[in-house]
Amino acid sequence: MLAWLKRCLLTRQKQKLKKPAFDFIFTKSVPGSYVSFDCETTGLDPKKDRIISLSAIKIQKNQILTSQSLNVLIKQDDLIAPDSIVVHHIRNVDIVEKESSSVRLLTEKQALKEFLAFIKGSTLVGYYLEFDVAMVNQIIKPWLGVKLPNRQIEVSALYYDHIVRLTKRSGQPGFQQPNIDLTFDQILHTLKLPNLGQHDAFSDALMTALVFVKLQQDSL
Amino acid sequence: MALEQQAEFLQQIPPFGLIDVSALRQAALSMDVIYLPTGVSVPLLASVSADNQQAEYKTPTFLYFVIKGVIAEESQGLVVGRYSIRGYFGERNVIQMQSAAARLKPKGMAHADSVFRVLEEAILYRMPGAVFLELFQENEAFQEYFNANIVDKLNAMHHAVQTTTSTEVMMDTVCSAPIQPLVIVSDSETLQSAIQKMVEHKTDACVVAPHGAISMGNQSRGGQADEVGYGIITSTDILKLIADEQTGLLLQDLASSGVANGPLLTVHEFDYLFNALLKMTRFQVDRLIVRSDTDLVGFLNLKDLMSLFANQSGLALLKVEQAQSVDDLHIVAQQIDQLVENLNRKGIKTHYIAKLVNELHRKMIHKLVELLLPEALQSEVCLMVMGSEGRAEQVVRTDQDNALMFSNELSKKAQEQLMIFSDSFTQAMIEIGFPTCPGKIMLSNAMWRQSVSQFSEKVRHWFDHPTRENFMYIAILCDAEVVYGHSEWLFAVKRTLQQRMADNPIFLRHFAKAVIQFETPVSFFGGLRTENNSGLESIDLKKGGIFPIVHGVRCYALEYKIEPTNTHWRIKALIDLGLFEESFGIELGETLNFLNTLRLESMLKQINQLDSGVVNFSEVTGDVRVVPNNYIDVSGLSHLQQDLLKQSLNVVEAFKRRVTKHFKLHEML
Repeated sequence: MLAWLKRCLLTRQKQKLKKPAFDFIFTKSVPGSYVSFDCETTGLDPKKDRIISLSAIKIQKNQILTSQSLNVLIKQDDLIAPDSIVVHHIRNVDIVEKESSSVRLLTEKQALKEFLAFIKGSTLVGYYLEFDVAMVNQIIKPWLGVKLPNRQIEVSALYYDHIVRLTKRSGQPGFQQPNIDLTFDQILHTLKLPNLGQHDAFSDALMTALVFVKLQQDSL
Repeated sequence: MALEQQAEFLQQIPPFGLIDVSALRQAALSMDVIYLPTGVSVPLLASVSADNQQAEYKTPTFLYFVIKGVIAEESQGLVVGRYSIRGYFGERNVIQMQSAAARLKPKGMAHADSVFRVLEEAILYRMPGAVFLELFQENEAFQEYFNANIVDKLNAMHHAVQTTTSTEVMMDTVCSAPIQPLVIVSDSETLQSAIQKMVEHKTDACVVAPHGAISMGNQSRGGQADEVGYGIITSTDILKLIADEQTGLLLQDLASSGVANGPLLTVHEFDYLFNALLKMTRFQVDRLIVRSDTDLVGFLNLKDLMSLFANQSGLALLKVEQAQSVDDLHIVAQQIDQLVENLNRKGIKTHYIAKLVNELHRKMIHKLVELLLPEALQSEVCLMVMGSEGRAEQVVRTDQDNALMFSNELSKKAQEQLMIFSDSFTQAMIEIGFPTCPGKIMLSNAMWRQSVSQFSEKVRHWFDHPTRENFMYIAILCDAEVVYGHSEWLFAVKRTLQQRMADNPIFLRHFAKAVIQFETPVSFFGGLRTENNSGLESIDLKKGGIFPIVHGVRCYALEYKIEPTNTHWRIKALIDLGLFEESFGIELGETLNFLNTLRLESMLKQINQLDSGVVNFSEVTGDVRVVPNNYIDVSGLSHLQQDLLKQSLNVVEAFKRRVTKHFKLHEML
């Protein structure tokens, strides 16, 4: 019943797709295939802010395929606001392609096109993924007529369940909700994962992937 | 972009730093990140998927770098290696596979004898074997690193340590120190004119040359520096002269006044400052004459040298001479410990550190005898250090092996005095920080305090009763050196020993058996064989590597009547005699150096733990010092160190085989 409903929804979505060339985004998801992704933006409002850089890394079971990652910088029409530069450290001068780096500079549409081709039907993994997905949807909705149809996994939610499970297992009485710190640094710390220090799209996607892989192992 | 972090990560791992940045970046981009929970094994071979089967020559292996966690390498159920942060493994398989493929053997033939198991959940970078091979094939220096022999690797390591830390003044050359101008006067001149010249050149010493040796003024003097007839006058000599009211000598010519002292003590301008310091300590002088290949160049003053060393700890140790009491010497001993730690941290080879430290220890012992021995007896004795101290190989004071011989004519009463002296000597040594010898090989033990003839008798007795214990005594005595008194007595005793050895050739073969008495902790496949000591995987370096080398070399030295006691000098002598090929001798020496360095580091760590209270103090009873042991914790070693340790132990193995063959030990068992 649920499966049928889902199929109906998907079919309706597909009908809304303006460009048949992007049909592949509805590829059936491959089990065990995930993509961790993260973007840096000019601000926190998906309605008016833009994506500056985007990284996506494939995950296969316990392997984080950084060698096949997608790393793009996006050309900006406007200058980046000073207060957001403080957060992500990407200055206007940094939006150039460097020979030394595998990061490519693309237009917004080109970047998104590559992104969609990269993720295909994979399940998306992220930290506060909702925001990153909203940033993407904001571009593709008017353009392709649809939003990202991919299944999404929120690592902070996985982490929350993990802690709750641990608390239960340790046999603490009562139904009292544990007070769980969901900041990224805290998650890394609790899971004893290395903090790569630098906060950019690639590092964040990589660390998110590590959190995901470790928590998956845990749930086995 | 953090992608660059991967390249930076690689760059910090030797020898990957040898690769040029752009190639390294490319290689870094090929890496994936793998997470592995505790207990699983790391897959070295990629599962070749169906559509990939065509690509026969693509090497399906991986190289791993540890980002976090611990991996153990196991071979036949034994842990043979450990890898933690920045460690890497799998390279051997990749290289093996490659060479197997080159020989057109089926891929499966390359044997993978090791299993890599996750000891502590791990995050790894994984690099495709093909990428590594490309680096390997395109960069010669990089390739050489993996093929290099142990001597090169060790030198590279010492070099790396020395270049990364601040330069060590001790290892600078003499000519980099402030050198006072040289004043040379002829012995036909008067003392007064010599003093005038010293004042003129603002120096406090001058060299006196025999008449006629100076041809064209001060500077152009050829010939050998230590020539007979040369002497030195210092301001101290002049002060003494005035104090003694011998001012009449001022106007006499220098040849007849006898004010000048000879022979000249010189140091080459390209020698290490540390050797200059040693020479000053040994001869108790405040200045040396610096010479070049052909000329005398100037004076090196102790106080200038000291000012160079000023902010380096432990230099007050030159105060041994000024020590007035056992307490003073105790302070000096602590400064020596500090110095050892500093020198080691600076990457100075342990051999040099040992040389310096033992020189100072002997100085201290000499001073101690002066402080404690009644003056009447001072010309009646010979005090020697033996074992590792005799070989000048003891860096951390782990025990004391010493003995005293006295003249055959000594009265009963004097012998009693000697006994009192010996007891207080041993006690003072313990106070200073030389722990008691577990075998009681110390002056306070009457067995090691005998007249010269009794001692020789003793040696003969050892030979006639070759027990395990007596073998040990002979070994200890072989390494003896005199610190105080009649060195000719020890020389005579050693002659007896050599004679007995030559009369009875089978003895040496029994003696040499101890070389192969302990198994080398290295497995058939070249991995480390560790013991499990309360959860730590450890190796006894002394039994496993140091003792076999030291004793084996000692046996050769006995056979060929080689005088020096230090193992490195003995090896050098064996090379000179043509008994060891030069490459083998150097390799053996460097191996010993490396093992000693590892042991030194481990001991320093143990001492620090003791000092900081990490080690349970209940073990420390009374004033008995807890002596650091000879074990090293293998998991605490870096990848490079583990690698070198394995190679070192293989050298030990090869040496044992050589000893076995030379002394025909297999026939003895």
